[in-house]
Amino acid sequence: MDEEQREENIERDLNEALIACEKCHFCNTVCPVVDTRITQGPFGINRAIYYAIKWNEFNEELRDLVYSCSTCGKCDIMCKKVSRALPLTELIEKARELLLVEKEAGPMPEQVGALKNMHVRGNPWGSPSHERTKWAEGLEIPFASKDRHVDVLYFVGCASSYDSQGQKIAKSLSKILKKAGVNFGILENETCSGHEAKRMGETGLFAYLSEATMEMFKDAGIQHIVTGDPHSFYSFTHEYPEHGNGLKVQHYSQFLNELIEKGNLKLSRKVNKRVTYHDPCYLGRHSEIFEEPRDLIQRIPGITLVEMENARADSDCCGMGGGRMWMEPPQGLLSSQAIAERRVLQALATGAEILLTACPFCNITLNDAVKSLEKEETIKVVDITELISMSL
Amino acid sequence: MAVNAEQLAQDLKSIVGEDYVHTDLFERVNYADTSLPYDVEEGDLPDVVVHPSNAREVSEVLKYANQRKIPVTTYGSGTSLMFGTKPKHHGITISTERLSSLEINVEHQWLECGAGIKTGQVIKELGQLGYFLPIQTQIGSSVGGAIGVNTLGHLTDNMFGGRPISHILGLEVVLPSGEIIETGSKCLRRPAGWDLARIFIGSEGILGIITKVRMVLTPMPETTDAVGFFKTVEEIGHAVGMMYREKFPLPMDGELVGEKACKVGYEALDLDFPEGALAITRSMGRTKEDATENAQEMVRLFNKAGATKAFILDDPEIAEKVWRVRENAMRWGQERGLKGYLAIEVNPTLPRLAEAMTELSHITEGRTDLIGETEAYLYGHVGSDSLHCLFAFPYDWPTDKMKQVVGEIWNLEKELQLKYDGVGGDWGWLPYRVPFFREKYGETAYGIIKKMKQLFDPNNILNRGNLEGEA
Repeated sequence: MDEEQREENIERDLNEALIACEKCHFCNTVCPVVDTRITQGPFGINRAIYYAIKWNEFNEELRDLVYSCSTCGKCDIMCKKVSRALPLTELIEKARELLLVEKEAGPMPEQVGALKNMHVRGNPWGSPSHERTKWAEGLEIPFASKDRHVDVLYFVGCASSYDSQGQKIAKSLSKILKKAGVNFGILENETCSGHEAKRMGETGLFAYLSEATMEMFKDAGIQHIVTGDPHSFYSFTHEYPEHGNGLKVQHYSQFLNELIEKGNLKLSRKVNKRVTYHDPCYLGRHSEIFEEPRDLIQRIPGITLVEMENARADSDCCGMGGGRMWMEPPQGLLSSQAIAERRVLQALATGAEILLTACPFCNITLNDAVKSLEKEETIKVVDITELISMSL
Repeated sequence: MAVNAEQLAQDLKSIVGEDYVHTDLFERVNYADTSLPYDVEEGDLPDVVVHPSNAREVSEVLKYANQRKIPVTTYGSGTSLMFGTKPKHHGITISTERLSSLEINVEHQWLECGAGIKTGQVIKELGQLGYFLPIQTQIGSSVGGAIGVNTLGHLTDNMFGGRPISHILGLEVVLPSGEIIETGSKCLRRPAGWDLARIFIGSEGILGIITKVRMVLTPMPETTDAVGFFKTVEEIGHAVGMMYREKFPLPMDGELVGEKACKVGYEALDLDFPEGALAITRSMGRTKEDATENAQEMVRLFNKAGATKAFILDDPEIAEKVWRVRENAMRWGQERGLKGYLAIEVNPTLPRLAEAMTELSHITEGRTDLIGETEAYLYGHVGSDSLHCLFAFPYDWPTDKMKQVVGEIWNLEKELQLKYDGVGGDWGWLPYRVPFFREKYGETAYGIIKKMKQLFDPNNILNRGNLEGEA
């Protein structure tokens, strides 16, 4: 398909979907990114896309709106429940593809570097690729390869490989897997799964990274993947070519529950804490994994789990998804910090001492929000794996 | 307009601040678009969208506009089904979205809120304290907009003391001249004589901009739902008549769905319900026992009126599905590839409710106009004698054809309201029902409203074109 044809197809698909919008505004009522203006929410963004195509008007204002969405998917559920069941998040992503690939109007200027880094260095932060496995030094975790068979590949993901907060997750999960006697390994040359590239509309880069990653899995003879990164998990299970081509892919919350049920993992030490759980968007709403993390948390002796006002499919976003990790929304649009602070306030309202999550993005963002609210003494943001490792 | 758009934006920024004045295309489009089936055209756009944060800023904007005779359109949430927020003469669109304060004062037994706060937010916060908002419009609508139309949404008239006008203790209003007035007081007694609030409630934003609302608190009732399945929708019409005549306890909310809408709804939701039409009611009581007793009365009513099946909805999952059949009535057209739609509201007198249902059930048959090419779905309210009919049509119809069918549908609504002696219902009058108002009440009555408009807004800046019936 030539470029012109592809552009026409994207525009046609967007138009055919958006023309069906009932304009009921229900989607805006649940959007975590909306501050006060109607334009800030999925309703306003999608109307802007619709009229941009109709009037062939693709400018910076449109770009700023289209890239402000965190792709949390809360609007999709609302639209399905009470209106026309439009895939609003998908349409916004498609518009990003149109802006980036066809109109040269995207992504956001700060995101350009992140995309280049994904391509050149295999991670959005641009950290050296040879430092990717530095977190594992001294932990004696084998590199999976054709010659070093592993039963389970731990796919670490960029955030848990490079970010100091995320690395805690990688270390905790590795400790748990070792304790359970799992024959697991990591990839020496693991690269970005491409999930965030797709969110930013860089579908070509996503295709390149997904093919490279699949090739790596194939070369190392991988059959079973466990990850702590819901973003990669979603891409592997929903977006990769043939959805991973027969690979078994699990989030660690699924795998650890299985290990406990089989008696391979025992949680014996009491952790007397009152905790609440934040559903990461790409694990919860997008992948519909709501109960496994909760089951896992409640297997820890001594734990009291309390729910926030918005939980499971109704959970609020941390604000960093959809490429927002690498941009600060332009003036007049809600900052990621403000979104994360709202979520932390919900957690504080439960009286929990620990805000648990199961995603490195959420972990980083919510931690920052706790600091900006000066509530470090009241509540800690911790990944479920860290709590599990305390109970071993 | 006396000033150009650039100067206008600059001047308004000096009133509300740089961040709260928008002139870019997509902002203006969003504040002009409505749920009309056809698109906004460039001529419909405001020159500028402004977001004041308090009555003083609203006042300054209105003073500025009034001195220069610049049209001002007020925007609450844009969910009006009369589409009054679409500017007819460019100018300034004032959004009340930042007027979103909320104080629930249990000591004084009132709530006070900014006009721009969404009803969903107020419903949620009141609910946490055991109170109820007697305005059940869709959760994204603004309180100011609902008060401006005096709508109670889906609630049965009189169940909570009537329309919002009965709950208002006071208003803050900015007049087109920029003067700010307050009505009422903070005590629970409302004035028996002149109460200026009553002039603005239901005036659809043509006399002033409501910026703050004070309402008496209403305790949250206990509720129980019931459902009745009927062979035909007309049987539900008879049931509603019987409910009033035989003094059954009225439900606080009740909905009906006609045969055709039920069929596509059941298919879409994969429900194994009896064929025909359905009625669902929400009965209330001070205690759960009271509410359930009243719901049992609804079951008795449905059975007496010939329901094939009727029962209390004590399974929340089934209850949710039944409510969804009604809530999604607007979606069924799409299931058949008909994406465009427009709904009407007809309020027949009680004795003629079933007759109107029959007519609406066959409304497209034999017609040679564009309505004859649409697919019609009937639904409505059980608590009040109020019906809706949704006309669905292909969205790829050209704009002119869309506009023609919209005109035909409003005209049909007018003819039906006149025939069945109905009123404007819950969506207000302006601008589309102006011809109906003039025909039903006459030119003298319409002239009184025009004189009031002239008195409050001699330069006709506020929502210009709405009272004139401009589409």
